[in-house]
Amino acid sequence: MTAALEAHGVGKRRVGKRHRREWALRDLTLDVPEGSVVGLTGPNSSGKSTLLGLAVGLLQPDEGTLHAPPVSDIGYVAQDAPLYRSFTVGEMLDFARELNVRWDQRLALELLGSRSLETKVSSLSPGGRSRLALALALGKRPKLLLLDEPLAALDRLAGRELLQVLMDGVAQTEAAVVIATRVVTDIERVCDRIALLCDGAIRLEGTVEELLANHRLLTGARRPLGRIRGVEEIVRERHSGRMLTLLVRTDGPIVDPTWSVDEIGLEDLLLAYMAPEELPAPQPPSDLRGRLRWHG
Amino acid sequence: MAWVTWRQHRPQLLAAAGLVLAFAAAAVATSLPVHDAYHRQALSSCLPPSTRPGCDLLVAHFRSEFAWIARVGRYLFLLPGLALLVGAPLLAREFEHGTFRLAWTQGVSRRRWLLSKTLLLGAAIVVAAAIVGAVAMWWRAPFDHVDGRIRPASFDVEGLVVPAYAFYALALGVLAGLVFRRTLAAISAAALAFVATRIGIETLLRPHYLAPLHRAVIGSAPVPRTGDWLLTDTLVDGVGRRITTAREDLAVLHAQHANIDAQQYLASLGWRRLITFQPADRFWTFQAIEMGIFVTLGVLAIAAALVLLRRRPA
Repeated sequence: MTAALEAHGVGKRRVGKRHRREWALRDLTLDVPEGSVVGLTGPNSSGKSTLLGLAVGLLQPDEGTLHAPPVSDIGYVAQDAPLYRSFTVGEMLDFARELNVRWDQRLALELLGSRSLETKVSSLSPGGRSRLALALALGKRPKLLLLDEPLAALDRLAGRELLQVLMDGVAQTEAAVVIATRVVTDIERVCDRIALLCDGAIRLEGTVEELLANHRLLTGARRPLGRIRGVEEIVRERHSGRMLTLLVRTDGPIVDPTWSVDEIGLEDLLLAYMAPEELPAPQPPSDLRGRLRWHG
Repeated sequence: MAWVTWRQHRPQLLAAAGLVLAFAAAAVATSLPVHDAYHRQALSSCLPPSTRPGCDLLVAHFRSEFAWIARVGRYLFLLPGLALLVGAPLLAREFEHGTFRLAWTQGVSRRRWLLSKTLLLGAAIVVAAAIVGAVAMWWRAPFDHVDGRIRPASFDVEGLVVPAYAFYALALGVLAGLVFRRTLAAISAAALAFVATRIGIETLLRPHYLAPLHRAVIGSAPVPRTGDWLLTDTLVDGVGRRITTAREDLAVLHAQHANIDAQQYLASLGWRRLITFQPADRFWTFQAIEMGIFVTLGVLAIAAALVLLRRRPA
């Protein structure tokens, strides 16, 4: 497997007067194996868009180097899928053909579906616009496809359709894909790997199966914490009354009978990693149904 | 790139073409009677060094009859400035709509993207402005034969400088669009900068492109030929000191009281008029120099935009 996007020690200062001394990204390495879909997630302003912007050359790093394929090999759809509103769908395709060395009109048309080429971009639905933007990006037959919050403006049905088009296109182009999103449940279905970006650094990275298999929630009576067999690291701990809940990364089966061991869902796992460590624990809700949740 | 540029700037380019056509039509319609009168009264025979009698009256009559055309013609200097309306949205609109994220992530580098678009639009605008400059030259020809064309009223709207002004206005618009990222702000800033440079260069630099000629005139002798561009006209005494208007008035009053001709009296005092002027035959030299200046300024603006474009966080 070859890495398609590597950022090593990349620093990018925040733009704007208030953030002059802060860094949007620091010391970051993200490998995107070819042919896989990586969900890049993290809280607001954690650096997701900055990383994609750097990769596609819209931004310049303030320090460090970023190895990415040349821009001609990257398909990029910015947040809100910017398009020329006065153009027709057909003219948008002409635009992309004119500005790209490699252009696959047949693929772009196929991804667009049965939409009329005479339709004005301004009269497209949000779903139609996203689909057109995606078709433009994939029509370049990119090696790497970067999508910035592709589902943010879409309802669930349109989002589902777009992901279907995405998977069709990826199957045909064999591109490596990075999808930046705040809401990982939207794209969980199509992701091979998840990378969690917090404060400009990768906090967690792996396949969905790995991540779920390596993390457990332990619940038991409150006690001083020592070494627990099978636990590699305690990620988070929360006290509520006499109870103690731990989110742990495991390196083996946990056999200690004084802990009740539960699996954790992907969304809860990511939210737990995103939560600041010193955050006071919220009171657990009274109606804990089914799966134990980290966040009430 | 050509198709993309055409498609994105179609309205402005069509408007520019329409404007040029409308101006040409208006010029032909209004100028036919002027050319007609010029030939009917055989004004060409009145041009220096001719000594045809009665010419003063003929020329004065011709001037006053068509004065309104010359007056309207002065406003033609605004036309090339309109090119900034083409230049300003080039980048500003992409920023306003966020579409720079689309345009600059295709296979063409943003540097090449900006350069091709600016040069393509520049070529179109320069052609349009060159037509305007040439038509204006033909339109004003009868007046220019009588009054020369090196004075600002005609110099500013004729010949080589018109396309140069337009190119500069376009480049300024592009640069302002990159700096301000809003079309309206870019247009305002570019318009201010354009007017400031035009006025600054016209009043401070143009009189000195070549060293002006000097002439001392005694009494009421005629000033240089009418086609020249008079820069200064001051009264000095025998040793070259400047005579204030108050002193001149006093002297004239004195002469009137004594019933002597005022001009003769001034001459008898040893006072002369010192005149500096640019002769009419330097027109094309000055046009070439001014064109060079504005083309250089335009190129500098584009170069600045290219440098900024690379640094500017998007």
